[in-house]
Amino acid sequence: MATTNGEYVIDLHHVEKIYRGKVHALRGVEMQVHRGEIFGLLGPNGAGKSTLVKIMMTVVRPTRIGGTLLGRPIGHKPTLRRVGYLPEDHRFPRYLTGRQALEFYAALAKVDRRTRKRRAAELLTTVGMSDWADKKVSTYSKGMLQRVGLAQALVNDPQLVLLDEPTDGVDPVGRREIRDVLVELRRRGTTIFLNSHLLSELEMVCDRVAILVQGKVVMQGTIDDLTAQSRRYEITIQGAAPDWAQGDPSIRVEVLSDGQSKLIVQGSEPGPMQPILDRLRRESRIICAMEPVRETLEDLFMRAVTDPETGQVLQPGARRNAGARGRGKET
Amino acid sequence: MMQTVAIFLDAYRELNARKLFWITLILSGVVVVSFALIGINEQGLRLIMWDVPVPFLNTTVMSEETFYKTLFVELGIGFWLAWLATILALISTASIFPEFISSGSIDLVLSKPIGRLRLFLTKYATGLLFVGLQVAIFSVASFLVLGLKGGAWEPGILLAVPLVVVFFSYLFSICVLLGLATRSTIAALLLTLLIWFLIFSVHATESGILAFKLLTEQKVTALESRISSYEGTLQGLGKDANEPSQRRAASIRHRLEDRRSEVTDTKATLRKIEIAHRAALGVKTVLPKTTETIALLERWLIDLAELPAPANNDDSTIERLAESGAFTPDPEQLQLDAVEAIRGRSVGWVLGTSLAFEAGLLALAGGLFCRRDY
Repeated sequence: MATTNGEYVIDLHHVEKIYRGKVHALRGVEMQVHRGEIFGLLGPNGAGKSTLVKIMMTVVRPTRIGGTLLGRPIGHKPTLRRVGYLPEDHRFPRYLTGRQALEFYAALAKVDRRTRKRRAAELLTTVGMSDWADKKVSTYSKGMLQRVGLAQALVNDPQLVLLDEPTDGVDPVGRREIRDVLVELRRRGTTIFLNSHLLSELEMVCDRVAILVQGKVVMQGTIDDLTAQSRRYEITIQGAAPDWAQGDPSIRVEVLSDGQSKLIVQGSEPGPMQPILDRLRRESRIICAMEPVRETLEDLFMRAVTDPETGQVLQPGARRNAGARGRGKET
Repeated sequence: MMQTVAIFLDAYRELNARKLFWITLILSGVVVVSFALIGINEQGLRLIMWDVPVPFLNTTVMSEETFYKTLFVELGIGFWLAWLATILALISTASIFPEFISSGSIDLVLSKPIGRLRLFLTKYATGLLFVGLQVAIFSVASFLVLGLKGGAWEPGILLAVPLVVVFFSYLFSICVLLGLATRSTIAALLLTLLIWFLIFSVHATESGILAFKLLTEQKVTALESRISSYEGTLQGLGKDANEPSQRRAASIRHRLEDRRSEVTDTKATLRKIEIAHRAALGVKTVLPKTTETIALLERWLIDLAELPAPANNDDSTIERLAESGAFTPDPEQLQLDAVEAIRGRSVGWVLGTSLAFEAGLLALAGGLFCRRDY
């Protein structure tokens, strides 16, 4: 993460959106994105992720909002000159070629003629579409459209890029290439806001994430911070667990099906593990494996979308009663 | 400015990609070529190299220049551009806004540093590009053909460009509002055509009532002339005391009473027609004047004096009313009176009220576009 002077690129406060007076899509979203980081927004279908992104990009009008985007109030149109955006399921005019589409959207972002021609050519090469640059977009596959869509989001050399499902429909090679592009952008100081369902993708590149459930941020922070409580060491040994381990409240014992046992010790530091290993050695126990384990992003996500009281996964979609209150556990 | 140019360039590319744009342009070319193939001489019409004798249409009835200007106004503009080409243009442009605001497409544009209202108005203007290009090419080609063939070097022909664009813009504003409201190209197109038909119906109703009013006025004038004639005759007969004269005087007095009674009734009818006409004109005032906007071109290009005079123009009005009281109207005079009545309406009224209607619709459509969530 490359936070400079603590400035937030996105700083959102009490964002609310009520559609047609009854569908409460966003219920007081608080979110901060630091400069130069890749920030991931997760959430089940209908959680309000796209609505939040569209509000930032002035596509949807908020019911209530506070905060800034690149230091200016949300909705300040001239600021969008420094922002790139790839909407989910974007549609380019079918009569344009890839190059023409990039140049058209660059012109709308007030990029001068010479620069937009140069940037379009460079970006088409970057996303691997230079051979298709002068073909009509109507002939492109879904993956190709995503690549050109990404190039479109970058054509104005933005300081902030918001990408809604950027790898949707892209093959594994393309996904890796897009990831590489994002990492390179971060290296150059660009802030990236990613909205994706692909948790493994996000886990690979994101510095920080927020989880949105039923229009409210229920978790926000670095993946390390969010998974800190779940960090543990797992020691797999041959045979049954020793009595002293079963009597130790800091050690949880699991019996495995193949005659092995697993000792689970909460914590992220390796130091407290050493006495346990020494004792197992002294007792001539065969240690099959020892590994540090933490929650995956998927585990984290599932925890976020599960009601702690009932253990049930929360229903997808926005709340229909505007006054309903949701969970508000933020990290 | 850069953004506006980009949107117009994009609109041009969109038009270029539409087959209908080229089909319409080719058909316009056919109409212009037909102008070049039709001529007029002392005997009648000349089609390519064949002479077709037409007693009511030759250079003794109207000049070659007036013939070509009339051909351009009536056939080129009135029939082709203001009807068929307009329908083709509506079919071509009806999808502009429904496609523009479709999900995934509008997001890309609204997320750019351009205001919604400016975006809406620029996109609206690009919709007029279709007709603007078509009518400009058509008018310039017609100007050349009419000049070279008929010697009618009439720059006023080029007034067709703004007039037809303004005429189309009335319909396009309806189409845009419906397209934004329904998000459906088909719904917008069909409803626009329906509303155009309704506007035309109001115009036809008003024109019909106007013709009836003029006819009734003509009858009142004839009745009054006849009454005046009877009164003169009676005055002459009054001095003559012989029996035949007295019998004739009694007969005329009887007919005079009939005519006086008839003129009172006709005037009462006329007042009712005038009220109906004012009501129809009032309805028409708030609607766009599609037909009259196109007719402005004829008003500017062709002077009434250039048109063939009514054949029975010398007939006395009184002769239209027989002794029996049967009234025979003068259709040519009626037509001329109708044209004069319509031409008497100011350009400001025709264009001003129509543009006010369009501005009202655009305000609604613009408000819808600017306030909506996409």
